[in-house]
Amino acid sequence: MNFGIILDNLNLYWQGLLLTVQLTVLSLGLGLGLAIPLSIVANSGNGLARGLVFGYSYFFRGTPLLVQIYLIYFGTGQFEGIRDSILWPALSQAYWCALIAFALNTGAYTTEILRGAIKSTPRGEIEAARAVGMSTAMMYRRIILPSAFRRALPAYGNEMIFMLQGTSLASVITLVDLTGAARIVNSRYYSPYEAFITAGLLYMALTFTIVMLVKWLERHWFAYLRPREG
Amino acid sequence: MTASTPALVVEDLYKRFGSVEVLKGISLTVPEGAVISILGSSGSGKSTFLRCINLLETPDAGAVTMHGETIRMRTDRHGQRVAADHKQVERLRSRLAMVFQSFNLWSHMTVLQNLIEAPVHVLKVPKKQAIERAEALLHKVGMYERKDYYPAHISGGQQQRAAIARALAMEPEVMLFDEPTSALDPELVGEVLKVMHDLAAEGRTMLVVTHEIGFAREVSSEVVFLHQGRIEEQGSPEQALGNPKSERCRQFLSGILK
Repeated sequence: MNFGIILDNLNLYWQGLLLTVQLTVLSLGLGLGLAIPLSIVANSGNGLARGLVFGYSYFFRGTPLLVQIYLIYFGTGQFEGIRDSILWPALSQAYWCALIAFALNTGAYTTEILRGAIKSTPRGEIEAARAVGMSTAMMYRRIILPSAFRRALPAYGNEMIFMLQGTSLASVITLVDLTGAARIVNSRYYSPYEAFITAGLLYMALTFTIVMLVKWLERHWFAYLRPREG
Repeated sequence: MTASTPALVVEDLYKRFGSVEVLKGISLTVPEGAVISILGSSGSGKSTFLRCINLLETPDAGAVTMHGETIRMRTDRHGQRVAADHKQVERLRSRLAMVFQSFNLWSHMTVLQNLIEAPVHVLKVPKKQAIERAEALLHKVGMYERKDYYPAHISGGQQQRAAIARALAMEPEVMLFDEPTSALDPELVGEVLKVMHDLAAEGRTMLVVTHEIGFAREVSSEVVFLHQGRIEEQGSPEQALGNPKSERCRQFLSGILK
């Protein structure tokens, strides 16, 4: 192990770490924002709307994330209509392509997680909400979604970790995230061991942060599921 | 609203599930302050009747009128009867409280949060005021010490008393009880019936679907016996339970009291 290599490139790793965190947080945020309305539609929309949501989630869960990135990064440039459209400034940049692919991908998985959690809301609790005169919108906001989020949290914790590891694919379309930084260090010094172990340890540290966050949320949100005390 | 306007009038209610006709024309007038017990064997339609009043089930025909205001219905393009005005249904539901057989407390909220949820968000009562009122109600049903417990952490009887307090927190004009003691262990039934006793004594208007003949006899102003979707027997507790005219009702009572 040559620690000198790592110390010399600390700044590169730091920049990579920042980009990884940024991509993870933004794609999870956008994906969740997309998944909440879609999971509601998947549960209560009409047949056509439900079919469209299913098609979306099936496409993004049915193909590899890397293929999706290639389609968005290389594929969209093939069409003149897209090159001339107002979307091109975004779609011509690797950063935006990666972010769009990640957000759509995690959005699809999160839609399925939330769809199941909403579906398993106890019927009686929904009836109680209707019986006190709640509108459907209020019922979702006050009863169904808060209760579904709690049920979805363990599965969503996994999805957050998957997304974090998934962002390493950004490095294949020129972005210098944590994996990208490790690739640069490796090619510069030809020392894969130092380069990638450093990246791996940093990913583990980020994963640990997510695990602790989920644990904290479970403690605060799942008090009602804890076994009865005394 | 005059003193003579009944709290609730149900006219000629019909309901079918698929090919099974559950309600075959039920009418009932609930005067202000009345406590009406609804008896009947399982499958007689008594729960469905109660659930049609606040439109948890949509009746196929008939009318429900609260204090002179009739719930407007229309027929949709599939020929189904649906509520014409959701806002009206929501408003009327907020004035009709329902207590369920399986309590149906919101499991992710504490007892106190369950009590203030609808007053704060549906009735727009200021939170501080809702909490004060909720705490007073919890004292009344003997649940104040358990106000910060989650439903899963208290007994069935305690959950049902909390659910009754939740219903009371809406300051309802009419309370609907759907077999409130049927899911409870026998030793927990008494505590819930006692609370309902006290509510009746306060002069609250109550419609109670129950199997508790003792409660029906002591507390109600009127007893209704349903059989196969029709009212078979209706009258004062003394008459309907002591000397029923209908053979069905007599059989039912002798079966239960044996």
